[in-house]
Amino acid sequence: MTTTSETSTRIRSRWAPYVTTVRYLVLFALVCVFLIPVYVLLVTAMKDPAQVSPSRMWNLPDSFSVDTFGEVWPTLEPGFRNSVLMALPASIISSLLGAANGFVLAKWRFPGADVVFPLILFGMFIPYQAILIPMRELLTDWNMVGGLSGLILVHIIYGLPITTLIFRSYFVTISDELIDSAQVDGAGMIRTLVFVALPIALPAFAVAVIWQFTSAWNDFLFGLVLTSTDSWPVTVALNNIAGGQVVPFHEAMAAALLASIPTLLVYVLMGRFFMRGLMAGALKG
Amino acid sequence: MLRIRKWGPAALLVAPSLVAIGVFVYGFLGWNLRVSLSDWRGLRATYDFAGLDNYRRLAGDTRFIDGVQNVVVFTVVFVAGTLIFGFLLALLLERGIRGEAFFRTVFLFPMAISFIATAIIWRWLMSNASGAQETGLNKLFDSVGLGFLANDWFKADSYWAVASVAIAAGWALVGYIMALFLAGMRGVSDDLREAARVDGASEAKAFWHVIRPMLLPVVMSAIVILAHISLKTFDLIYAMDAKSRKIETPALYMWFTTFEGLNFSIGAAIATLLVLGIALVIVPYIWYSVRSERRR
Amino acid sequence: MSEKTSEGRAAAAAADALTAELAGREPAGVRLDQVSKHFRGGVQAIRDVTLTVAPGEFVVLVGPSGCGKSTLLRMIAGLEEVSSGRIHIGDKDVTTQLPQQRDVAMVFQSYALYPRMTVRGNIGFGLRMRRVPKEERARRVDEVAQILGLEHLLDRRPAALSGGQRQRVAMGRAIVREPQIFLMDEPLSNLDAKLRVSMRAQLTLLHKRLGVTTVYVTHDQTEAMTLGQRVAVLRDGVLQQVDTPQALFHHPVNLFVAAFIGSPSMNFVHATVDAGAVSFAGVRIPLPPGSPLADGGRRVILGMRPTSLSVASEDGAPRLTVTPAIVEDLGDERFVIFDVDAPRVDTDATRAAVDAQAEDDALLVPLDRATFTARLPATTPVTVGEPMAVAIDPARLHFFDPATGEVLQ
Repeated sequence: MTTTSETSTRIRSRWAPYVTTVRYLVLFALVCVFLIPVYVLLVTAMKDPAQVSPSRMWNLPDSFSVDTFGEVWPTLEPGFRNSVLMALPASIISSLLGAANGFVLAKWRFPGADVVFPLILFGMFIPYQAILIPMRELLTDWNMVGGLSGLILVHIIYGLPITTLIFRSYFVTISDELIDSAQVDGAGMIRTLVFVALPIALPAFAVAVIWQFTSAWNDFLFGLVLTSTDSWPVTVALNNIAGGQVVPFHEAMAAALLASIPTLLVYVLMGRFFMRGLMAGALKG
Repeated sequence: MLRIRKWGPAALLVAPSLVAIGVFVYGFLGWNLRVSLSDWRGLRATYDFAGLDNYRRLAGDTRFIDGVQNVVVFTVVFVAGTLIFGFLLALLLERGIRGEAFFRTVFLFPMAISFIATAIIWRWLMSNASGAQETGLNKLFDSVGLGFLANDWFKADSYWAVASVAIAAGWALVGYIMALFLAGMRGVSDDLREAARVDGASEAKAFWHVIRPMLLPVVMSAIVILAHISLKTFDLIYAMDAKSRKIETPALYMWFTTFEGLNFSIGAAIATLLVLGIALVIVPYIWYSVRSERRR
Repeated sequence: MSEKTSEGRAAAAAADALTAELAGREPAGVRLDQVSKHFRGGVQAIRDVTLTVAPGEFVVLVGPSGCGKSTLLRMIAGLEEVSSGRIHIGDKDVTTQLPQQRDVAMVFQSYALYPRMTVRGNIGFGLRMRRVPKEERARRVDEVAQILGLEHLLDRRPAALSGGQRQRVAMGRAIVREPQIFLMDEPLSNLDAKLRVSMRAQLTLLHKRLGVTTVYVTHDQTEAMTLGQRVAVLRDGVLQQVDTPQALFHHPVNLFVAAFIGSPSMNFVHATVDAGAVSFAGVRIPLPPGSPLADGGRRVILGMRPTSLSVASEDGAPRLTVTPAIVEDLGDERFVIFDVDAPRVDTDATRAAVDAQAEDDALLVPLDRATFTARLPATTPVTVGEPMAVAIDPARLHFFDPATGEVLQ
């Protein structure tokens, strides 16, 4: 916003207009190439099922139709509902715990906090293949395989590193004097967290919840290992609908689009927070 | 005494999370290691010590070795491609361009959708069907007169197969890398850039001498993040073509050998090797990040 | 106009009410008993500080940055642990109490206003944390808001306030608590110069009115001198001198205090005492009668305030012929800077004190010779480069031991 006004006042070289034109042309070309999959997805999903054939993939539909969505929705719907039931609590609880951890690690650094933090961070990067076997064993013991509860639990736990990191990065930027002041005013740790730190941390909360919601929604591996047909999350359901080569591809496309709507909505509506989550995931560059 | 009263509540507050991470990350890693050193086959868990047998077996297992080669190709194509295009996009957007928000939104949106959905779209785009059934990119190439570009994509009989999957992965992540670079470039203060301009550097030279050196940490972050993603990627490849050995990586082999072949100890050994590979890039990265933050 | 006076009357009434409430409480003093602080990593920030603040007193802790004054204040607040020694507030030993258990209020340099709370919420927060009933809370917040002229801002967020207003909210948050002790950590340093001066006066008034024991930290010696009933000078975690501003100015106990207090700084020169007189740069100044230095000769560091130099007249006072190098005009007076043909005094103590005031005015003058500043009336004719005679007041000389920096008396 400010940058555009600056550009207009800056003294520019003779070649600048050409450079800008070329830059726009290149960008538009890249956007077009980049959006090819989206084009295919949209035109296929919206064609009248009778008109669909692989050879006409690139043609625009003669008439728009949402029939395909209607066809795939009944098979996708249970997974969709499971994912909502799983991703919402998983992301909210994980964020709440992350807020507490992040606050303590940034502003109430107990002795040893410097060692604990990198250990937590490592949890963010482990390949989940390496915990699948013990996870299935333990959760089977706890009777948490086959339903949603186990899936929710692991999404909460494996979300902790990133939510902790998001909140810690956020709390590090607020002034120590604010925390000191709350203590002198008579607040202990818990009340400082609740009355002073958390109200300021709403943006971090948005970042953490969005990030966690997106990764829980998009997860496939845990769903595959921990759930049974009734409790499949949407990704597993989608893969089963669209997996075989025999599935008509307009149905595959429509299902993929439907399954992506919640996260796409979040992305479009809350893009700013989504970006910040991405940046946090990269630690500090 | 004061110490306990001061830190006590804090320790209690984080204790549940620490215990959970302790068990579910470190406990499980140890448990997995133990499985990898056992002779567990079949549904019932057995933990009889088998030494390095499973690892030795993997060393002679062509399916595993092919997988390693595949993941190397995948990593190289994916990391290099994503890095180059991500940088290019950032460079194009860097000096406040009209509609920047739109471009950013477009390039980043695949981050919001699942690898499964990504794979489904790309599987159809990269179909190798021919004749009347020809579709996807091959069809597009044919109809615009670029028929010679048509190929077998991920069904190809060469490393091109796994490289095609890397293209889909790159499509999903290039926006992320662009955003990282953009943040890095914007992080350089305007004063610094302006100082360089006043000192007589052209815009391009100012970029090269002032901004480029400061992007090294971004490049490092990007490489580490991309490399570790490529080592653990499972769903994209699984949904693309689960049955194809041409694109199978150890991350998938682990799954098949464990949950379909019921060779738990072998699966655990593969997983342990994956952890080692990832730790090799991630541990120095975390160490470096935490240390440089402490210096600040 | 009438509105203004009625407002003023209301504020006065509110202040009276608050004063009455505070009068019901016995003011408490603070006693620091051989307090030390070691940080992890071996840095010792505070060494054996013993200091008593009388009930109702206004004491200023002053020193260059890094001298430990803020750490000391935070120890009184309970924000830093005490490594050894005891801290008493009133009769109570609070050494191991958490901040929320001590009855102190603190004003921070950044004001530390809670961004998501209104001004009302900010001022009332301490009362809320101490579970003061809602109605009483509202009454007290209104009272304090009136005293500080914040009534019309009560529903704003801190972000919508000016620097001065934020400062007053921070003050209000401390006052409303009616604590035993006020602690203030450089509360004026984020204000611009003019506002700082007026807030300084208001702080003095407020303290007179409320009579609450106050410990105030600053690095600015002018602020310390104008605010403090007593001033405690700290250097490297060691208490140097605690005294009234007058006594600090006229009877500094060592080189550091002498150099730190006063603006412009005291002038120093290496000199020799011999046969009842002190001499440097070819000038002999007879010692005042009865000076213990009179017998025997020795080397000393001689100090004299810029105000003890004047234009020489014919009254026979010892005089120095100098060539002004820089003249700084301040309107009704001027600082004349010149160098003296004697070795420069460059000890850790003087450097530490002068650096703190960021006065590098000596840079352009030869570094191996002593530089003096004289504070003369603006009517004095002075021309740069033209020699003039300067008289020294023999009654206002300070002598320091060159080895220890201690004052010689």
